[in-house]
Amino acid sequence: MTTVQTETAPPPASGSGGPSSGGPGGGVPESPGPDPAGAPEGRGGAAGHLARALAEFRAALLSAAWFSVLALPLVCFRVNAVSGGIDYLWARLPRLAALAFCATLAWRFLLRRLGFSRVRSAVAETAGPPPEGARGPGGSWLTLLDRAPAKRLLLAGAALLLLSVPFWTTPYVVTILITALIYITLGLGLNIVVGVAGLLNLGYAAFFAVGAYTFALLNQNFGMGFWICLPLGALSATLLGLLLGLPILRLSGDYLAIVTLGFAEIIRLVLVNVGFTNGPRGIRNIQPPTLFGADLNGAVKPLLVGHGLVHKDMDLNKVLVYFIILAIVALTVVCVYRLENSRLGRAWLALREDEVACQAMGINRVRTKLAAFALGSTWAGLAGVVFAAQISFINPQSFTFMLSVMVLSIVVLGGMGSIPGVMIGAAVLILLPEYLREYSDYRMLIFGLIMVLMMVFRPQGIIPSTRRVYIYRPEEHGDGGARPSTRNPDALDAGPGGAGQDGQAPAGVPGTAGGPPSPRGAR
Amino acid sequence: MPDEDIRAEGAGAGAAGGDAPAGDRVLELSGVRTFYGNIEALKGVSFHIDRQEIIAILGANGAGKTTCLNSIVGLTPPRSGRVVYEGSDIRGRSTDSLVKAGLVMVPEGRRIFPALTVMENLRMGAYLRRDRQGIRDDLDYILSIFPILAARAGQDGGTLSGGEQQMLAISRGLMGRPRMLLLDEPSLGLAPIVIRSIFDTIRKINLEQKTTILLVEQNANLALQVAHRAYIMTTGIITLSGTARELMSDESVKKAYLGG
Repeated sequence: MTTVQTETAPPPASGSGGPSSGGPGGGVPESPGPDPAGAPEGRGGAAGHLARALAEFRAALLSAAWFSVLALPLVCFRVNAVSGGIDYLWARLPRLAALAFCATLAWRFLLRRLGFSRVRSAVAETAGPPPEGARGPGGSWLTLLDRAPAKRLLLAGAALLLLSVPFWTTPYVVTILITALIYITLGLGLNIVVGVAGLLNLGYAAFFAVGAYTFALLNQNFGMGFWICLPLGALSATLLGLLLGLPILRLSGDYLAIVTLGFAEIIRLVLVNVGFTNGPRGIRNIQPPTLFGADLNGAVKPLLVGHGLVHKDMDLNKVLVYFIILAIVALTVVCVYRLENSRLGRAWLALREDEVACQAMGINRVRTKLAAFALGSTWAGLAGVVFAAQISFINPQSFTFMLSVMVLSIVVLGGMGSIPGVMIGAAVLILLPEYLREYSDYRMLIFGLIMVLMMVFRPQGIIPSTRRVYIYRPEEHGDGGARPSTRNPDALDAGPGGAGQDGQAPAGVPGTAGGPPSPRGAR
Repeated sequence: MPDEDIRAEGAGAGAAGGDAPAGDRVLELSGVRTFYGNIEALKGVSFHIDRQEIIAILGANGAGKTTCLNSIVGLTPPRSGRVVYEGSDIRGRSTDSLVKAGLVMVPEGRRIFPALTVMENLRMGAYLRRDRQGIRDDLDYILSIFPILAARAGQDGGTLSGGEQQMLAISRGLMGRPRMLLLDEPSLGLAPIVIRSIFDTIRKINLEQKTTILLVEQNANLALQVAHRAYIMTTGIITLSGTARELMSDESVKKAYLGG
């Protein structure tokens, strides 16, 4: 909510602060108000500063009010399990409002300090008005994520926070986070299939189940450990993906969705009815992963608890699982990112758009789709193994259609084809229900409402996907007359925000110059 | 590079509308019959194209022109007949494997990838190629023919105008460095001035890149100006053939396709 305020606040600042200026940069709404080098400087610095401070204050107040209203049920209502009623904790409200107020001020200050608003207007000036349809400046704080230092800072902060979680929280939080991370892995895997390659897979739970059961059965029957089963689970899911993909990937759209849906149901029914899976009773006592054979809960834990490093009820095996899934998520992010920007990734994108044209380009339709399908399944298998290790008991009930829908919702809600989007989507859809346990009766209702609203107002997802922008740079000193040629062997492989890295922006290429790759619009 | 030798040989491609250059046979169809369900769309089509020729297939709507191209590249596999490309029968081979063999089609209706940028579209054309230097050279060449595409490099393909999209579609086809290019209705839905420049480019590609071109067109007038020879198709069979000059002066062709 804060972010919305930052976007809408500036105009009043220019209206009250510098009436004489008459809106210096009419084309760019963000440029007039908060720009330190703006018009008020000439007439009276103090008055301008005061007006700006007032505007900031008002914006912060507004967002604090909004935030309080929105967070009210979350923070101030609590179900009393003993009496069965609801406790109202009104005393928390002022604190919450104050916090939101300070956070908004800090956020706005940070944006200013990073030169965010100024950079954007600068881009608009140098590059000229972007041609219609080109990816112009994104027009939201999300473009901040494209700027390298801010991005690196954010990543480092997030990594540090996630790594330190087990040392200052309760076992409950760690358990929830493991679940969320498992869903992130699932979401990122399905993202390859649905988001990038555009194959609607409604049976993703089946591959998850195969990974989990691979570990459970191998552990139960042959005593094989987690670390061996992790790749085996992934492998079996991949093989199953190939096996299923071969006959059905000639289908497309709705037909594919229905077949995958049926397939998932078949897998679940097999798990229920086949003898060696122990049917609906499932498999219990799956061994947790070990760390070089160390007895974590026996030998290591007293040491850590003694130094006050972990919660006294913390199960260190869970902590290990937490770190494992964290590592898997990191690996997944790297792999998916590399895949998306690879030749294969481009082929997937193209295949989603036009199959005939792809064939005319020499892309083997079936093989390319199969690769997406199988690779997507691999992550489900990995997540499945971790899932089995986490809860140490699995039965077919864990792998119903709802799980597939959940993962699909994560991808759609977060933003198809967008890695940060999927992560946010998973966090929202998995963590929110945990904090809203009181309203669990209405969960599906709220869930449906959110999805409908999302599709109407933001169909591209919370964080829409961005891709690398390839820039064609004609050479300045022509080697063969007027014929342009690319400057160096890697000229085509400009990284994210390529032009920003080596300052020489191609003047003749509108739309690609200067600006960071902005979020892509809805499709 | 298998196509280096091709570039070297047979320099004498005649001027447009002139006599067909003598050379080896690139593509030969004989008795090709293609069905959509029970409907026979091609009722035994036979024709041939020699190296570095521009051949036009003309005809009215529903004559089977597009089906003819689709039958060559395997999008609608013929039920019988022979399609011989560079000496081997390619009937029933998949479209993508033919691209590897240097037979590239620019499908009807442009079919660019709207959500990929112009540059990405072009890179998709070079999907099967690994020679970075060659790709770069071809990119430079193509952008020198169509400078507008360089200016639009970072734009999404879907935001281009119709003419630009057609240029992109042809360029994308060229990025695969084809030895033979099949163009399906490049003039479809374009302004006359744009059509003109596209046809000029087709001739240019044929001359400079030594690419053999099979052109399917409704715009008979323009096609005959560019092509060396042409075939006229009516309801699934070839009814007339000859050099472009012959056909242009043919009374029945004039009446049916050239507006008198």
